[in-house]
Amino acid sequence: MVESNRLDANAMAQRVARELSPGETVMLGSNWPGLVGGQVPDGFGVIFLTENGLAGEFSAGAANDAGWVDSNGQGVRLAAGGSVSASVDTAAMLRGGHVDVAIVQAGKVDTRGNFVHWTTGASPGLELPGWAVDMAAGAGRLIVMLEHSADGGESNIVAQLDGPADGRAGAGLIVTDMAVIRVGSEGLELAETAPGITAEDVVAATGAPLRVTGETPAMSFDPPPGTAPAKVFGSGREALADVPDGATVMIDGFAGPGGTPHYLLTSLRDHGAKKLTIISNTAGIARVVNFGTPPGKQAIDHTILIDNGQVSKAVASYPVSPSASNPTAFELAYRRGDVELELVPQGTLAERLRAGGAGVAAFCTPTGVGTLIAEGKETRVIDGKAYVLEQALRADFCIIRGHKADTLGNVVYKGTSRNFNSVMAPAADVTIVEVDEVVEPGELGPEEIVTPGVYVNRIVVRPRDFSPYE
Amino acid sequence: MPREKVFGSCAAAVADVFDGATVLIGGALGCEGPQGLIEALAQRPVGGLTCVFSPGAAPDAGGFSALEPLIANGQVVKLITAFPWLDDNGLLEKQRRSGKLEIESLPQGTLAERLRAGGAGLGGVFIPTGAGTRFGGGKETRTVNGRECVLELPLKGDFALFRAYRADSLGNVVYRGAGRNLGPTMAMAARVSIAEVDEVCQPGGIDPETVISSGIFVNRVVESPQGSTGRTAE
Repeated sequence: MVESNRLDANAMAQRVARELSPGETVMLGSNWPGLVGGQVPDGFGVIFLTENGLAGEFSAGAANDAGWVDSNGQGVRLAAGGSVSASVDTAAMLRGGHVDVAIVQAGKVDTRGNFVHWTTGASPGLELPGWAVDMAAGAGRLIVMLEHSADGGESNIVAQLDGPADGRAGAGLIVTDMAVIRVGSEGLELAETAPGITAEDVVAATGAPLRVTGETPAMSFDPPPGTAPAKVFGSGREALADVPDGATVMIDGFAGPGGTPHYLLTSLRDHGAKKLTIISNTAGIARVVNFGTPPGKQAIDHTILIDNGQVSKAVASYPVSPSASNPTAFELAYRRGDVELELVPQGTLAERLRAGGAGVAAFCTPTGVGTLIAEGKETRVIDGKAYVLEQALRADFCIIRGHKADTLGNVVYKGTSRNFNSVMAPAADVTIVEVDEVVEPGELGPEEIVTPGVYVNRIVVRPRDFSPYE
Repeated sequence: MPREKVFGSCAAAVADVFDGATVLIGGALGCEGPQGLIEALAQRPVGGLTCVFSPGAAPDAGGFSALEPLIANGQVVKLITAFPWLDDNGLLEKQRRSGKLEIESLPQGTLAERLRAGGAGLGGVFIPTGAGTRFGGGKETRTVNGRECVLELPLKGDFALFRAYRADSLGNVVYRGAGRNLGPTMAMAARVSIAEVDEVCQPGGIDPETVISSGIFVNRVVESPQGSTGRTAE
């Protein structure tokens, strides 16, 4: 083997880019993985996440533009439609299952896909987890970029790590400066070799059993094909067409009109799915309090689903009317025994939704300790204070109300209509937003986007002549 | 009468940081940290500090240089970070080897979540990150929906020093680009949160829908002696 046949980092990044598909959310670790962002065609349609909180596609930018750097510290220009997040949100995207692929540069990998993130040989006993552990635990697929063997010839692919791993059984694919290797249930399999490198070279440089079957193809570096699926749907009915009977659906709303996806509610009624569990702040209170409702009209709220016999359970904090003589439709259904109710304090509801979206399985909160809310739940004392253990809430679908969205699904809200919308959006398998206006990418400022497109699957424009009252 | 949040100098803003305090220090890879506040703290005769500082790091991007004044003075006895970026002759490593500095390393997302738990009043969170790895060792675990999770406890600070872009005099804060990082979470998690910003404006100078850290979480704001939120010096 000729040592100069080893791929450079850009070529490895080019090869890794071929593993990506439009529509995917891809987290790039620092150093070599950071180069992958530059290896897809413009407008390819993946959302890259960097370790420092950028989301979107990007290209090299000015070196001194304050704040606009990638996770390698290089100046960067976000493509139109990008957004920025805080680290806590990046963590939530990873743990919450919102990241399809993560790309990590590792120090060593073993035959089971366990890896050590960064060799800290100079500093025994000190680990540098960075984001790698979060990526291994949270991403759908994990690709490891690796220097195949160290300068002295020692292989960075080993049969078994000699110490504990940073990421356990995470890596599915290893791309090195010599080869592409798949990690399967039966160990490592050689998939491709770099130009000028033979399968024998790779086997000789690998410190673990490596299966070679037949002729090994050479790596291709062609840019990946494809375009991202469109998120904008023509109508509420189309956006909700696959909601099955028995689905769990999150719906926002307070007593007033702000924040409620009125149009999608009517679409869900017309769609007709039954036996729904709704997760919502209220279970339809706007109709009885009628804040802001014009004379002779009735507000559209959850009531229209209940009256249509579609709801079998609500998880809510405000299921009842403030007036006993003017009960909500949900109360009446509850009295008839048609619906079940799980009552949740409002802040706990928000926190359970946040946990659902952020991959927090359960959390300890002081809210509700010593009250009916805590009955039947585990309680514990931490640092002298009592807490109730609350579980995450997730749903199959979520219908939210934004003000504007761009075509990539980045959303901003208007005034207080943000309320539960932004915390619900990450907590469902399919999130559908109803907006006043869809704009082109770049029209919403990356620093002002509240719900990034990572969380939004479908966008529907509320028709101009639509009234939230009927 | 609301308490005045606008401080005239970084020195005044950190004047009550005490021996043994836990100080959360923001900063973002390739962006400027709260350098004015750090340098003001380095001028004060306080030590025994536990610092949470995890700006991210890449080989040539600066990394820990922002914290150098405090580390060099020996004011920090414990550092909690996901990025103990090291080199053979590094200041950090020298102090660690001499036993003067303890380093607790943990995954960056776990660090962020522990700070959030501290700021949000949670007693702990069960998360899958680190389960089965060296970062899950010695912690309570439980299986939730078939997935092994570890119990992570909240992390709080006595003070938070973080860099942001603009603040109004009520402490509402916006950040610039990738400089957001751990700032908003640290702001929640400290008893006294101090934002070092390019510019302090009057209330109304920041669009309410774009505020990232609410004034509820920010106790003090000070204009940076460094000027604009530029990148760290090459």
